Amino acid sequence: MSDMTTLLRKECVENLSVFRTIVMFIFVCILMSVYSILLISNTEMSLLDNAHAEYMLTELVLILSLLVTLLLGSDGIAGERERDTLEVLLLSPVNGRSIAVSKLFNILFTWLILFVLSLPYLWALAGNGQNLVPSIIALLVTGTLCITIVGGISLILSIKFQTVKGAIFTGMTVFLLLVSPAILGSSLRNNAIGRFVDAIDPIMGAINTLDSVIIDSQGISFQLFRLGVMLFYTIVVLTSLYYISRKVEL
Amino acid sequence: MNAIEIKGLKKKFSNKTVLENISLTVKQRDIYGFLGPNGAGKTTTLRIILGLIPYDEGSISVMGKDISLWKEHLKRRVNVLPESHGFYGWMNAVAYLRLFGNLYGIRMTEDRCLSQLQTVGLDPENRLPIRTYSRGMKQRLGIARATINSPEILFLDEPTNGLDPRGRREIHDFLLYLNREHGTTIVISTHILDDVERLCNRIAILHHGKIRYEGALENKANDISCRYKFKLDKKWEIPDNWQNTHIRFLEHRGDYLICQLNSIGATEAIKELLKTGLPIVEAEQISGGIEETYFVHTEGEI
Repeated sequence: MSDMTTLLRKECVENLSVFRTIVMFIFVCILMSVYSILLISNTEMSLLDNAHAEYMLTELVLILSLLVTLLLGSDGIAGERERDTLEVLLLSPVNGRSIAVSKLFNILFTWLILFVLSLPYLWALAGNGQNLVPSIIALLVTGTLCITIVGGISLILSIKFQTVKGAIFTGMTVFLLLVSPAILGSSLRNNAIGRFVDAIDPIMGAINTLDSVIIDSQGISFQLFRLGVMLFYTIVVLTSLYYISRKVEL
Repeated sequence: MNAIEIKGLKKKFSNKTVLENISLTVKQRDIYGFLGPNGAGKTTTLRIILGLIPYDEGSISVMGKDISLWKEHLKRRVNVLPESHGFYGWMNAVAYLRLFGNLYGIRMTEDRCLSQLQTVGLDPENRLPIRTYSRGMKQRLGIARATINSPEILFLDEPTNGLDPRGRREIHDFLLYLNREHGTTIVISTHILDDVERLCNRIAILHHGKIRYEGALENKANDISCRYKFKLDKKWEIPDNWQNTHIRFLEHRGDYLICQLNSIGATEAIKELLKTGLPIVEAEQISGGIEETYFVHTEGEI
């Protein structure tokens, strides 16, 4: 356990001190700022009610966080391998599982930072504040589940692929497949196949949950099926990661 | 009990055999030199011993215990300086030592980190990130990390690579100190034959995945090859029926003859040659020792 804590501390410090990650946080903040300003000041976008604006921002935060997760996860093990630091880690009394779990916790830590960074923007768009709390809760719950799923998948790819490029490329393909139903037209999404894909896709589950909670003002307790699907994927991914990370090789 | 004992080790990558029937023994307190050209299989052998990659056949025991049953515990009793050090460039040396000390379950106080850095000749006041370090400084930091848990067996892959002569001498002295004062068994994989001559008491030469030579360096007068140049009194022809595995004629030009002596002392060899009627008037050793042995067993590759 102590080796995992040591590794996690190293990961978090690295995250907060490496130029690349800081640039990533700044970039996300700039995007959220521009988006929020557009939602308030743009002639057409400002016609949206507060709930819609809130929903659109949570969706943006979720997608950006998933992309950041994909990059961090893909770089997790494959990056250590490419930078020759994996060999030294594996030669010390640390097993692959501790390394993978510390990487996953670091991804969740990064998600937490992005979530906190998004709070002022959510507050600014909330208007009378009616949708603020449901938005925050829905984003936190669905975001954490989705980040665990995508983080776990990208870490598994990172263990299996020798290069970061390979892991990112495959991870991005999986990610695009998962979000592809969002770009389908409403008629396609409303037929039987569209509804089935929507039901079994965890990312679409998260987006639909945000929609229902923020725009339709449904309670989060009404989203048990979608949350159940996301939880199922989370368990499957974490179990796979647990077994695959036993054999982290050079 | 031997520190390391390998018997009949075989390893294939896809269909290519990279290690074939490797058997060697490293005794406790040995400084063991592991030599061979690039691609000979040295790093693969080390990685197998350290449990980083699986092997196909054979048995490996470290400190008397089979490594397949003992991997996690083994990691706490040995340490390694790999060729690719794998530094976190954004860390400073103290943070780096603290990280690895903690992974070994050692409480790394500031004083302990500083003294560890001083031991290998690094400035303890230097708090710059490791990415700003020169190759020699990184090498020293790597050695500081590799000795952090006072290992019983220390594996070093090219430990003096990139060091200036003074730095090499300091690292030699440090390794000899570890071996003599702490009884650390040291296994060195290197191309630098001077390191081997200065440090090692036993060597193994690996070539094309096979052990070509294993033995003690002290026996080099008899076990190790050397080349002699003989000045001849008169013209002489190499006998057609010459069959001596210990003496090989390399070059015969005018009144000079160059021979390679394998596993035979010079005096004995001269006696043998005189028996054939070779009119020797002068004998001069032109090369020998470990370098010659290395070349003989690796067929000139380096």
